[in-house]
Amino acid sequence: MGHFIVRRLLISVPVLVLVSLMSFAVIWLVPGDPAAVFLDASATPQQLAQVRHQLGLDEPFHLQMLAWYGRILHGDLGRSILLNRSVTAAIIERLPVTLSLTALSLVFAVVMGVVAGLLAAMRHGGWADQSIMVLALIGLSVPEFWLGLMLIFAFAVRLHWFPAGNFVPINESFAGWWQSMALPAFTLAAVQMGFIARMTRSAMLEVLHQDFIRTANSKGLPWSVVVTKHGLPNALVPILTVIGIVTGGLLGGAVVVEQVFSLPGVGRLVIGAVLSRDFPVIQGTLLFVAVIYLLINLIVDVLYAVVDPRVRLE
Amino acid sequence: MARLTRRRLLQAGATASVAGIPLAATAQSPAPRRGGTVTVALVQAPPSLDAQLTSAQVARDINLHMYETLYARDENAGVVPDLAQGADVSKDGMTYVFALRPGVKFHNGKTMDAKDVVASLERFRKIGLASILLSGVDTMEASGPLEVTVRLKKVQSNFLDTLSSPGTPLAIYPAEEAVKDPKDFKFIGTGPMKFVEYAPDSHATLERFADYVPNPNYTKRDGFAGRKEMFIDRAIFRFMPESGARTAAIKTGEVLINETTDGPTAKQLGGDPSVQVLKLLPFALQIAKFNHSQAPCDDVNFRRAVTACLNAEETMEIAFPDIYKLDGGLVYGYSPYYTKAGTELYNQNNQAKAKEFLAKSKYKGETLTFIVDNTRPPMDTATDLKEQLGQIGIKIDIKVADWPTVSTLGFKPEGWHFWTHGLGIEPYEGPAKLMSIWANGISQTKDDPNIDKLYADLLAELDMDKRKAIFAQFQTYMYENAVVIPLGNYGMFQVVSSKIKNFVPYRIPRLWGTWLEA
Amino acid sequence: MPWSIRGCALSSIAAPIDPPTNWLHAAARLTVPVLRRLMHNRSFVLGASLVLFVALIAIFADVLAPYDPLRSNFRARFVAPNAEHWFGTDHFGRDLLSRVIYGGRVSLTIGFFVVVVTGIAGTTIGALAGYFRRLDNPLMRLMDALMAFPAILLAIVISAVLGASIINVVIALSIATSPHTARIVRGSVLVVREMEYVEAGRALGASDLRLLFGHVLINALAPLIVRLTYVFAIAILAEAVLSYIGVGPPPPTPTFGNIIAGERDFLETAPWTMIFPGLAIVISVLGLNLLGDGLRDVLDPRMKL
Repeated sequence: MGHFIVRRLLISVPVLVLVSLMSFAVIWLVPGDPAAVFLDASATPQQLAQVRHQLGLDEPFHLQMLAWYGRILHGDLGRSILLNRSVTAAIIERLPVTLSLTALSLVFAVVMGVVAGLLAAMRHGGWADQSIMVLALIGLSVPEFWLGLMLIFAFAVRLHWFPAGNFVPINESFAGWWQSMALPAFTLAAVQMGFIARMTRSAMLEVLHQDFIRTANSKGLPWSVVVTKHGLPNALVPILTVIGIVTGGLLGGAVVVEQVFSLPGVGRLVIGAVLSRDFPVIQGTLLFVAVIYLLINLIVDVLYAVVDPRVRLE
Repeated sequence: MARLTRRRLLQAGATASVAGIPLAATAQSPAPRRGGTVTVALVQAPPSLDAQLTSAQVARDINLHMYETLYARDENAGVVPDLAQGADVSKDGMTYVFALRPGVKFHNGKTMDAKDVVASLERFRKIGLASILLSGVDTMEASGPLEVTVRLKKVQSNFLDTLSSPGTPLAIYPAEEAVKDPKDFKFIGTGPMKFVEYAPDSHATLERFADYVPNPNYTKRDGFAGRKEMFIDRAIFRFMPESGARTAAIKTGEVLINETTDGPTAKQLGGDPSVQVLKLLPFALQIAKFNHSQAPCDDVNFRRAVTACLNAEETMEIAFPDIYKLDGGLVYGYSPYYTKAGTELYNQNNQAKAKEFLAKSKYKGETLTFIVDNTRPPMDTATDLKEQLGQIGIKIDIKVADWPTVSTLGFKPEGWHFWTHGLGIEPYEGPAKLMSIWANGISQTKDDPNIDKLYADLLAELDMDKRKAIFAQFQTYMYENAVVIPLGNYGMFQVVSSKIKNFVPYRIPRLWGTWLEA
Repeated sequence: MPWSIRGCALSSIAAPIDPPTNWLHAAARLTVPVLRRLMHNRSFVLGASLVLFVALIAIFADVLAPYDPLRSNFRARFVAPNAEHWFGTDHFGRDLLSRVIYGGRVSLTIGFFVVVVTGIAGTTIGALAGYFRRLDNPLMRLMDALMAFPAILLAIVISAVLGASIINVVIALSIATSPHTARIVRGSVLVVREMEYVEAGRALGASDLRLLFGHVLINALAPLIVRLTYVFAIAILAEAVLSYIGVGPPPPTPTFGNIIAGERDFLETAPWTMIFPGLAIVISVLGLNLLGDGLRDVLDPRMKL
């Protein structure tokens, strides 16, 4: 097992190098000038040049790249042009928002997805099964940002049940945090819910068709006991794996959902940086997000290996 | 303007106010009440809270509560003393001796003196975003504990205009802060509110500066100057880009001031007794620029064809529903320089005339590039202009990008034919600032000696009436040669909770002079 | 993102069908019984009908749209849905139904080209990596690196970098969707290339290219078709997101996404301007997802979800 993890880590090294190179280089293709962010439309080219110089943007590519690698090897992602702070600090400030959003939607998605999937499996082919599967598929087909806007319209603008975009940190007030997070977390969870429900259902169906379930059933145990005591534990493995995959997906979705609900998370940081050409933030957050992604993938792979020893031999 | 354009702030506009809402109207209000927290919804986060380093509208919204300048603008954009008592200008217009107001406290407890002023202006000259504003300055010195002497290199009739510009404010910081690396600057000024915290992408918090002494030379609030009396204890500026979210927040009372909303929403809110819907018009002048370096925009007949064709009313109504004013003046109506000269060529809506000019021009049916940033009102403006010009056979392709990209491209001689955006602060600041946009060919990307001469004349002219005449000449020239397409003034609807008293819309949501009902 | 997820799941298992001996044989073997099974698959039938419905509307947009989608009428702005304007009008006074119809045409075209480009790029990269051992490592590490970024974030950054246009949106989305596709193709190729009949072909002196195209790739076809159906759905969703962020196709050409993006300031006052185009997206994507599920059940029963 340890051997497998080491090998898996080694494969990650060239990927990391490529990822960091891409993160750095992408902004060099950008036509826009980050210096322009500081200026209004009547700024002169001289003013632009002045700002560029102050920001160190007039140095040649290779020098800036060397400086970038020098910094990231020391764990320093550089300094934001716009935010007057280091990129690392900017990410750390926003991370709790993104993490709590992701965590809450994961709870939503898992609880509702697993319950719906179980229900569908138990009533296989029946009315409940079909409606759950249709709902799950619709969930997979709705654009997140549109769902978010519709929820704002219905629950914030019309019904006033939830505030719209007034983020409250969890350590300030739990009730306030819950209020500000419920809609965005639900929006984000909708897609993943459908995914988990489908996965749970098919995993359960596979298990329920096996002999030991039939045996348990024929012993006269109530069906619900059979499903929860004997079926579920055996379907847990694929479900757990899916949850790992879903976590990665939630991070991507959070980028968009944070935008819709004005949540001050990493997603808004990176979108704001892209739209304002805050080069160091684009580079730093891309690298950061990619590393998190790679880590999640690593964990998923290790989980696979734990579950299914054949993977290790591959 | 600026970046106001960015993120539909743009739609915002501001002051018209001035024109529309008499200050007296608020005079009857009951006695002010001290205390309370006011949350203001802004459309985006400020690029910087260091006033000298940004010209963004959103930054101004916050910063002008924290920092002050030697001179400032009154309600009608007139130049009046703020941190200075006044200035003695030598006959030749080359030397300015500023007397400073005594007893002005910084947020760190220190009392302001001449050294702070010199250090701040030197900082601006060195690293200020618009350091060019001080390029005409020869020397600056503290000629007394409360006296600063500035010598210019040559006559510059707009020197006080510049010192009082809210665009990139020449904010006065304590000397010890001014010499620091800007990274370590502590956001210390002399304004009626002081910095508390900045939560990125979320909010900025300010609180009342207890030791603030309102300027004794004034009796009432007046623009960015006047008497700034703070009744509110705390202000939270929240950054909320979604307009629906801002509206929902003001309805639930999470925020008490929404900087800007669109016309239809303003109408809907009109009947709600818990809020006041206020108009700020004009806030900006929407223009469409020609790139004079590119055929066929280098051809005056082509440009005249375009300006003859356009129906500005249609464009403004679509882009700025219910919050625009058809006005061809290049400065705002309340400015002493305002003139109608040349404006018979504004909003012509004359397709027959346009086709005549087009036939004479070198336009041969090629597709032209219209660049625009990715916020709704400018995109709508471009879309509608494309539609209108299509009717006389001019083909346009719209190219959308974010503000930094567009505003970089828009000063280059290649890659575009038309560019539309708002000018917010320039028509407010007056002729010199406005003319500087086209001086040296900056905005049309090709030098125009006639404009350069008018601009030089204006800067050298110390007599106000003669300056007015020069500006009228300039405006006429701009129309007759179709240098640019002025589309009209737009404004913004501000929504303010009824709990807030004595709020008068201005270029920023001013909190001084307002209070919260018990 | 919903879609990267679907991608992950798809890519994890890629099983080939039994080795066919040549194209014709394969085609015949695939079509007749497979078609019969597809016709009995409810997901497929429902999905195909929805997709056909949406595609026909897009193809015959000129005939079906009651108005010119670009024609503004500023005297008739924000008209609520009525008999004349079924979906109402937007803030330019343009007929929303016509815009949604034409928007569907553009969005589906974008989706179609993303499928084509992803299909070509994914197949080429996957086949090269799977068949030629020496290329495997560098190519797949590059794909891994691309997949390390959330796909939607990658698409947003690339689209912002390239500048907003229909072609650039296609490029951005193709770059974001190709790596998974390449991985799926590679998986199939890896399995097949070691099989006896390919070995036999090699021994008989068949060229690499011939083997690759004649025998190996045909086996990647089933998972590829399933994957590309989902890619189509992903592209439609992602185009809308790009437009919403402000890096999608520029106006005035309508797409599902930029209709919503252009009207979002008016959510409270004219909600219909956002509800209808959103529903159009849901219907199109739902159709494609059903179609994909149906194809998967029939073509590639060992793939799960």
